[in-house]
Amino acid sequence: MGMALGFHIVFATIGIGLPPLLFAAEGLYLRTGKEFYRVMAKRWAIATAVLFAVGAVSGTILSFSFGLLWPSWTEFAGGIIGLPFFLEGFAFFTEAIFLGLYLYSWDKLSPRAHWLCTIPIAVAALGSAFFIISVNSWMNQPAGFDIVNGVVTNVNPTAAMLTSRAFPYEFTHGALAAYVAMGLGIAGVYALAMLRGDRSDYNKKALMLGLGLAAVFAPLQVVTGDLSARHLAHRQPEKFAAMEGQYATEKGAPLRIGGIPFPNDHETKFAIEIPKLASFLAFEDFNAEIKGYDSFPPDEVPNIFLAHFPFQIMVALGFTFVGVSALFWGHAWWKKRIDPPRLLLALLVAVGALGFVAIEAGWFVTEFGRQPWVIYHIMKTSGGATSRDGIWVLLIVFGFVYMALTAGMAGVLLLQQRGRTQTPRAS
Amino acid sequence: MALQEIAAIVALTGVMAYAIFGGADFGSGIWSALASGPRAGGQRNALYKAIGPVWETNNVWLVFIIVVLLMAFPGAMADLFTALLVPLSVGLIGVVFRGAAFAFRNFGRESGAREAPVHGIVFSMASVIAPFAFGVALGATAGGEIKLNDGGAVTSGLWAPWLRALPLLFGVTAVAVCSYLTMSYMTTRSAGDLREDFRVRGLLAGAAVGLLAVVTLAVSYWDSRDFWDLWQRPAPLAMSGVALAAGLASLFVLWRRWYALAPAATGGAMALLVAAWGVIQYPYFIVPSEKIFDVASNDAMIRSALVGLLCGAVILIPSLLLLYLSFVAESAEEAPES
Repeated sequence: MGMALGFHIVFATIGIGLPPLLFAAEGLYLRTGKEFYRVMAKRWAIATAVLFAVGAVSGTILSFSFGLLWPSWTEFAGGIIGLPFFLEGFAFFTEAIFLGLYLYSWDKLSPRAHWLCTIPIAVAALGSAFFIISVNSWMNQPAGFDIVNGVVTNVNPTAAMLTSRAFPYEFTHGALAAYVAMGLGIAGVYALAMLRGDRSDYNKKALMLGLGLAAVFAPLQVVTGDLSARHLAHRQPEKFAAMEGQYATEKGAPLRIGGIPFPNDHETKFAIEIPKLASFLAFEDFNAEIKGYDSFPPDEVPNIFLAHFPFQIMVALGFTFVGVSALFWGHAWWKKRIDPPRLLLALLVAVGALGFVAIEAGWFVTEFGRQPWVIYHIMKTSGGATSRDGIWVLLIVFGFVYMALTAGMAGVLLLQQRGRTQTPRAS
Repeated sequence: MALQEIAAIVALTGVMAYAIFGGADFGSGIWSALASGPRAGGQRNALYKAIGPVWETNNVWLVFIIVVLLMAFPGAMADLFTALLVPLSVGLIGVVFRGAAFAFRNFGRESGAREAPVHGIVFSMASVIAPFAFGVALGATAGGEIKLNDGGAVTSGLWAPWLRALPLLFGVTAVAVCSYLTMSYMTTRSAGDLREDFRVRGLLAGAAVGLLAVVTLAVSYWDSRDFWDLWQRPAPLAMSGVALAAGLASLFVLWRRWYALAPAATGGAMALLVAAWGVIQYPYFIVPSEKIFDVASNDAMIRSALVGLLCGAVILIPSLLLLYLSFVAESAEEAPES
């Protein structure tokens, strides 16, 4: 399941992030009449088509995984948190329908109608994220039902979907992450082309669009990240302690940047410690008490490494993204044109891939940080999984399936890339 | 009618929709492998062209079925996926490779890259495997060999519930259904000799569907007495009669070359065939141990699902019509002659 989600999340990100870019590129074409915007939109559309197809099939794998791998989870949770899954089905329909229209009707619809197709695609993709993240939030902070004598009663499906305490934080942070990563990803592709010497207008405009998206959302992402961490400090303190590498309960706890947890010494070493800042960030009080990892029962805490390292990576990358976007736009403002030096381009290429690393890291924090629970304080992960023996055979098979998908996709996209190292053909 | 029964009808409708829309996409893969005669290349191109804009939408019906199960029948979903782990996994892998191979082939070509033949082969193979496996799973659900203990846990093995004559015949029938649907639909998207190719193949596939359906029913007398006995009730008998009549009518339409009617006639007949399976199963969700009422979710969940369905349908139905009509109108204008 982790493998399935970790794979799918990349395509979900692209599915959310690309439609606004298509909207922008084709909208600019309609406004300015410049042919290269149309070429840009067309090329991005082909990439979208391939990536959406892989996202659609990996999403289908996910829906099956609930039954194949997590039947006990499904039996328990389906009757409580089923509604967002169901509604996500409709969002998926809308996205697929309008993407089909968009991809195959360049010459059939009026330019304006064709351009407008990107709106339902973008909205539906965001809607899918809304519904699916609501399920994940519910797993972190269950809501919308009571358990009386071990039996689930008073189910309120709408409340389960909307009133999880984690939901506002997870959704904003998760959705913004998609826009940041996609903006940086696109920018990375064109920075690479410019590094290779092709400083055409086409590449510059594409770079601008990607970094425009990133520059708007990367700073906001720092804010939602702070809000999320504060929420965790209040509602899932063991997760927060693991993320921060905070072993002992402490008043006025320092903010640790980096550091390696040493389980035997019950201490996180080699971190840069900023005194009292963790207490302040979490509780707005420099002397607030932060519960330590050791103060929770050992069988109810996550693995500290799997929460601490991804969290540190995610935070570091988040600030890097803000910095690099600022550097790019600052340089453009200073020079009065888009003409980044090679070093900055190289940085942009690296950051282009790191956006997705940050998403995976964030997802690690959410999932590993919730362990050993699959539904927080209700069901342990081991209790939700299938009882079938030999399920590992299936896992290996799907490992190969994912490898084949990745190889096939890389093949197609690289061939496409190779076919266009020359300046754009106006087709 | 009880809430739970309405939810079961929604699930059955999902299966019917997946069969007649998604099924035709599988049929395209099957026939692209079986393309033959002097116009084989033309047949293949027309098939690929037809499914391009719609296959992803049609695939969502599969996800629709799963999410209806998950919210309205979570217990049954858990048991079905545990008992039918093998056919459902195989079907899933088929769906995955079908979709990916098609997209890679299609957009690889569009971007000017050289075509990789492996994509076409994988596409065709996966298009046979997926409907076969899902047909087997439907047959196993009806076949009466999924065993549960008193606590509701699945006790039958990985192979026993489905590796039998009845489920396997369901699988073969499903492949024939897909083949028939595609050929019938394609007659409205082609002209001249190519259309005649599709018509003849459609008539053969349609006859095969009818024959297989009758054989499957007959075999159930020996292989699955539960299924046979369930069939011997007034409503299932009537329903299978209706499906048979609709099937013959659709063949007649194709025989007389009334092409404008062919998609509706064939799609309707195949939907009725799936509906007949549902009526035979009633009131069981999994024959013979789990009835619809035993495995349904709480009322609040089903009620919210139905409200969600109504709201979703307001968006979905016009969008679906827009999609299908855009591309059907187009293909009529520029139907390839050969």
